[in-house]
Amino acid sequence: MRRVSATLVALLCLAWAVPVLAQQAFPKPKEYRIERGMPKQAEACIQCHRQETPGIFTDWAMSRHASANITCLDCHQAQETDKDVSQAHAKYYDRKDLPFGSREYYIPVAAAVSPKDCSRCHPDESAQYAKSKHANTIEIMWKIDPWLNKGMNSEEERKAGCYVCHGTILKTDKDGNLDRATWPNVGVGRLNLDGSLGSCTSCHTRHRFSVMEARKPEACGQCHLGPDHPQIEIYMESKHGDIYTAFKDTYNWNTAGGAWTPGTDYRAPTCAACHMSGSGKVMGTHDVTERLSWETQAPLTVRPSDFAAFPAKTDWKAERDKMKAVCLQCHAKSWTDGHYEAFDKVVQEYNEVYYKPAKAKFDELVQKGLVSTEKYFDEEIEVEFYELWHHEGRRARMGAMMMAPDYSWWHGFYECKKRYNKFMEMADHLLSTGTKAYIYPNYPGMGGSTEKPPQIFNKKP
Amino acid sequence: MRRYVKPLLLVGLGLLLAFPVFSMTYYTMVRTSTPGFCASCHEIEPAFNAWMTSTHRNNAQGLVADCMDCHLPAPHDTVDFFYKKTLHGMKDVAAHVLHGSGGYDRAENRLAAYADIKDGQCLKCHRNILSIPNNRGAMLAHRAALYPAEGESRTCTDCHRNLVHVDRARYEYKQYAPPYRATGLSTLGTRGAPL
Repeated sequence: MRRVSATLVALLCLAWAVPVLAQQAFPKPKEYRIERGMPKQAEACIQCHRQETPGIFTDWAMSRHASANITCLDCHQAQETDKDVSQAHAKYYDRKDLPFGSREYYIPVAAAVSPKDCSRCHPDESAQYAKSKHANTIEIMWKIDPWLNKGMNSEEERKAGCYVCHGTILKTDKDGNLDRATWPNVGVGRLNLDGSLGSCTSCHTRHRFSVMEARKPEACGQCHLGPDHPQIEIYMESKHGDIYTAFKDTYNWNTAGGAWTPGTDYRAPTCAACHMSGSGKVMGTHDVTERLSWETQAPLTVRPSDFAAFPAKTDWKAERDKMKAVCLQCHAKSWTDGHYEAFDKVVQEYNEVYYKPAKAKFDELVQKGLVSTEKYFDEEIEVEFYELWHHEGRRARMGAMMMAPDYSWWHGFYECKKRYNKFMEMADHLLSTGTKAYIYPNYPGMGGSTEKPPQIFNKKP
Repeated sequence: MRRYVKPLLLVGLGLLLAFPVFSMTYYTMVRTSTPGFCASCHEIEPAFNAWMTSTHRNNAQGLVADCMDCHLPAPHDTVDFFYKKTLHGMKDVAAHVLHGSGGYDRAENRLAAYADIKDGQCLKCHRNILSIPNNRGAMLAHRAALYPAEGESRTCTDCHRNLVHVDRARYEYKQYAPPYRATGLSTLGTRGAPL
C-alpha cells in the first residue's frame, strides 16, 4: 500500500513537473512573420530589434499597431535635419558584422517619440491633448510652484520626483545624444525637441499603446496619488472603485474608441470613463480639462476659466452639463443634481471657512514683515499654510467630488480643522508679540534652478 | 442687304483685332506659367531650387507638379486663375520695387503659402488618399482631414510641410527616397522649437 502511495505521489510530482520543465527548457519567443508589405528599412528594424530588444519587440508585436502593420519606423523615423536624430544608432548601419549593417537599410531615427509624431495618424487626439493642463503642466508648475521658483529643492530631487510626472525639457548634448539630465522621461508635459508638449506614453505605455490600459484607473494613479492629490485612493474608496475592484474582470476594456458604453462594457466608471471617454451624447476627448466645473487643486477653488496659471477656454456651466450627462448614463437626475449641490457646498465651505481667513492672516503676516517671502517652506508657518490647501484642503474637496467620505472628512476637513487651529494660533502669537517667524537657517537640499525655462516662457504661444 | 455690311465689317474688324490680343494674352499666360519664369525673380530662386530637388519633380512616374499646380487655382477655373495670377504678379513686382529682394522674408511667405494652399489644390492630383493599405496611419489621418469630426478641422498643409521646399544637398528621387513621413500637426510644436 505504502509503495503504491509513493508511486502515486511520484507520478503526481512528475505530472506537475513535466510541463513546467518543458517551458523552461524551450522558451518560446514571439513569432512574427513579415507577411505584409513594408519598407525594407522597417523590416531591418524589426529583424534586428527582435534580437536586440526582444521585450520591446514582443510588446509591439502584441499591440494594435502591429495588427495595423504600423511598424517601428512609422513612429521613430526622423528627418535627417531633426535635432534628435540618434547618431549612435546611425553607426549600426556601418557595422558589417551585423545582418542589417548596410547603408541600404539606413534611416534616421529618434528615440523620443512626441505627440506631434502621433498626430501624423491621430491628429484629433493630439490636438485635444495639446489644449489640456496635462500637456501644459511645465508652464503651470513654473507659474505657481514655490519649490521651483524659490529653488527650494535640488535638481536631483526634481528629476526623481517632479519631472517624472510633469515632464522634462528634452535637450541634446554636444554629440547629439539625448541629454541624460532630461532623458529618459515620459512625463505628461514633456517639452520635446520638435517643440510639441507631452508624451502619449504617459498613459498608453510603450510599446503596447493600449486603450485598455489608459481606461483603467491605475494608469492615472501613477501620478494622481499621495497626500496632495490622492485621486486614485479616493476612487478606490468610492462606490465606483469598489465596483471596479469587484467586477473589472467582466469589463470589456478593448472596445473601439467612441463605443465604450456605460452599463454594457463597464458596470461602474473609471477615471477615463467620466473625464475622457464618450458617454451617451457626450463626445470623447483627450483634453482632461474638459468636463471640470471647479479647479479643486487650486489654493482657492475657482472655475477652470479663472485658473490664472492656465485659464481653460471652457465655460464651466457647459462643462458641468457635459459631466452631468455622463452621470445620467447610470444615475437619475435627482441623484446627480443632489451630488453636485453637495459638492458645491463643500467647495464653498472650504473657500470661505478655511482658505480665505487663513490666506488673509498669512497676507497680514507678510505685510507686517513677520513672515519672510524671500524663500518658502523655511518658516514653519509657511509649511502649515501650504499643507492646509495643498494637502488636506485638496483631499476634502476631491474626496467630496469623487465620493470618498473618509478622504473628505478624516483625511480632509478633520485635518483642515487641526491645521487651521494650529496655523491661526501661530499666526496670532506672532502678530500679538510682533515676533518674526523663526527661519530654519540651513534649509536642506536647495539649489535647483530658479530660472523659468526659456524654452517654455520666451516663445510665442 | 446694305444694312448688313456695316455690322459684318465691324465683326470682322473685331475678330481681326481680338485674335492677336487673345493669343498674345494666352501666349503670355503660358510663358509666365513655367517654374523657370517664377525663378526669374531672385526672391523665388531658393524655392525653385528646392523644388528642383524634390520628389514633386523627381519620381519614377515622370509626373511633375509645377509651381502653379499648387500655388494657383487650376487654369480651368479661368476667371479665378487669370485674376489670381495677375494679382500675384502685380503684387510681386510692386513688392520687389518697393522693398527690394531683401524685403522678402522666406519664412513668413512660407507660412502664408501654407495658409493659402487650399486642399482642393492637392486633391486635384492626390485624389485617392483613403486607400493606402500599407499605411493605415495615413488612412486614419486622411479620413480625419476629409471628414472632420465636429469641432475639428484639418488641412493638407497642417501635416505636410516637408514635401517640396526643403533645402536639400542633393536631388531626391521618390523611387530611391526613404519612406515618406508627414511632419505632423503644425499647431503642435509652435512653442519651444522652430518649425
